[in-house]
Amino acid sequence: MTTTVSELLAALPDDDRAERTLREDPRFRQIYHELSRRPMPVRAFSRLWVLSGLHAQIAFAYTFHWIRGWFSSAEDHERRRLETHLEVALKLLETMGYLRGAVLKAGQTLANFRDLVPDEIVDTLSRLHFQAPPMHFSLLREQVHNELGGEPEEIFAEFNTEPFAAASLGQVHRARLKSGEEVAVKIQYPGIARTIRSDLGAILTLMAPFRLTKDFENNKQQLQTLFEALELETDYEHEARLTEAARALFAEDDGIVVPRVYPQYSTRRVLTLEFVEGTHVDQFLKSNPTQEQRNHFAEKIMRAWYRLLFRGRMDYIDWHPGNFLFRDDGQLGLIDFGCVREMTDAEWEWTRRADRLMQTRDHAELVAFVRDWCQIDDDRRHEEWLRLAVEYGQLSWAARIQDGPYDYSDPDPLRRSTQLFGELCRKRYTRAQRVTSLFTRQELAHRALFLRLGARIDIHPIRDEEVRATGWDHG
Amino acid sequence: MRITPAAKEETRQRILAAAIDQFRQRGFEAATTRDIARQARIASGTVFNYFPSKEAIVLALAADALNGAGEDFANCRRSGASLEEELFLHVSSGLRRLKRHRTYLQVFVQAALSPLVIVGASGDVDAIRVNHLQQAQEIHSDHNQPEMSAVATQLYWTLYLGLLSYWTADQSPKQEDSLALLDQSVSMFCEWLRRESSDQTREEP
Repeated sequence: MTTTVSELLAALPDDDRAERTLREDPRFRQIYHELSRRPMPVRAFSRLWVLSGLHAQIAFAYTFHWIRGWFSSAEDHERRRLETHLEVALKLLETMGYLRGAVLKAGQTLANFRDLVPDEIVDTLSRLHFQAPPMHFSLLREQVHNELGGEPEEIFAEFNTEPFAAASLGQVHRARLKSGEEVAVKIQYPGIARTIRSDLGAILTLMAPFRLTKDFENNKQQLQTLFEALELETDYEHEARLTEAARALFAEDDGIVVPRVYPQYSTRRVLTLEFVEGTHVDQFLKSNPTQEQRNHFAEKIMRAWYRLLFRGRMDYIDWHPGNFLFRDDGQLGLIDFGCVREMTDAEWEWTRRADRLMQTRDHAELVAFVRDWCQIDDDRRHEEWLRLAVEYGQLSWAARIQDGPYDYSDPDPLRRSTQLFGELCRKRYTRAQRVTSLFTRQELAHRALFLRLGARIDIHPIRDEEVRATGWDHG
Repeated sequence: MRITPAAKEETRQRILAAAIDQFRQRGFEAATTRDIARQARIASGTVFNYFPSKEAIVLALAADALNGAGEDFANCRRSGASLEEELFLHVSSGLRRLKRHRTYLQVFVQAALSPLVIVGASGDVDAIRVNHLQQAQEIHSDHNQPEMSAVATQLYWTLYLGLLSYWTADQSPKQEDSLALLDQSVSMFCEWLRRESSDQTREEP
């Protein structure tokens, strides 16, 4: 039996049964049953599964919303069965071209929701997180040969044949240059960039029947933005340039380390960076850090984010935990600039406006902002949409609106945000600026990371110092 | 006057070198045996003493190129490599050797694929096929796998020719699509082998 698009759409939760569990939903069970039986991925369907709802990169949040519902009332044996289904589905998806990257990203972000998602799921996703489906060394050898013009053993003094980390759309190997420097070599799976482009065309074709529905053009633009961002991540020359630009923004006493790029060992598909020592958030938390240490790193992360934003006009979108390295000397390592967005003038203006309303804390200004962002008119039928979107905005920016330290360790606001996000999706309140999906992903991932860290920090002094670079005067 | 084997080989190599030049400059279709003979400084008819056709020249070029691939493969092997990795290396070593002939190699693929060409009709195609499959079988044995069945061998060869055919026409940068196709083909083949093997085990009493 072939799963059709209509069945897939029918499986999406609707308003009436938002809280029903997967256990009670035979159609969804059937889809997973189908997936688990298939020896090879059903390309179109599997891709749609990830790309459904026009929110490819933030599908994780929707998925998460579902997952939470499925497990809230399931019996143990049922949980195990469902977890197996999810694992099978993820394994199938990870075998598929660039979706390996998309699934990896979903896993990376979901792994942040540690206290909200069952451990087994998080463990599965964590495996995806730091152990991407590997390219074997023979394939990697060909990529290096094609890109750098020689065998890995000839080009580098040492080259570790086992990857030490997953990169989006590829993997990372440790190596040593002949001049002695320790480096991390990021190598891309062949052909992914062009697959993304052709898939966008395929998805837009599949969307054609919906072109007469309201907000089609807007949703299409959001989808295009996601694909553009994903495609840009495949251009390692672009990433090298942004990494260098970011590195120039930090001085030694900032305690924030951005790796050096080695351009002579880098191309569009291979990126060689200085190896930055440090542990990931999991290991950091295992060391039972004090509240002060947790706050210290959370502040460093915020400092880095604001510096990039205000001084570099770069938005560090990709907040997955693998991008932050916690060092024994208290310094923060910041890696992976593939998903950094160079802000357009229009986006910069939105940022200025958002920063202003967070300073003035004027509710009317917040409402006007949300109205403009989502293009919500005065029609009374849109009141609910406006109310939900404003609440979502308030929660997203709570740490920056509220006076004094903000307690990220309280899971309730994040829970409420994901609920709201699910509700906005289900009610088809998806019209918004084309970068919304990127920002949503960023915002949820940021708060999820700080939730795991259990951070309680005051963001305002950091913002106040960093905003000087903009010359903005909101007075 | 008797021609020594060394002189014969030297002439053969001159023809092959001239053919490479001509194929590159004019393309396979436009290049003529007369042009090849002129560049090789031999009489037009002499070419036919060595190769019955232009197609035969391409097959000889492919066979010569692939002769060195076995050594490359041996040099790049590493302990602990999986069957997938080794089969990939086996094919990719050959592709690297064939790369300089890529644009006109379709002739070889057509000769090997054509249902009109029966085994034994072309010595070079047969030699390439036998050598390639023998090495694949050796890799297979090195991984403690039973001998490849006739079906497995046929499947493998078909995938290989499909890949070659794709590669000769691959317009992607640095033929990266072919690499991805090779990776996925080898994965699929190994998965099929594992299933075949487990099916056989189940059938045994």
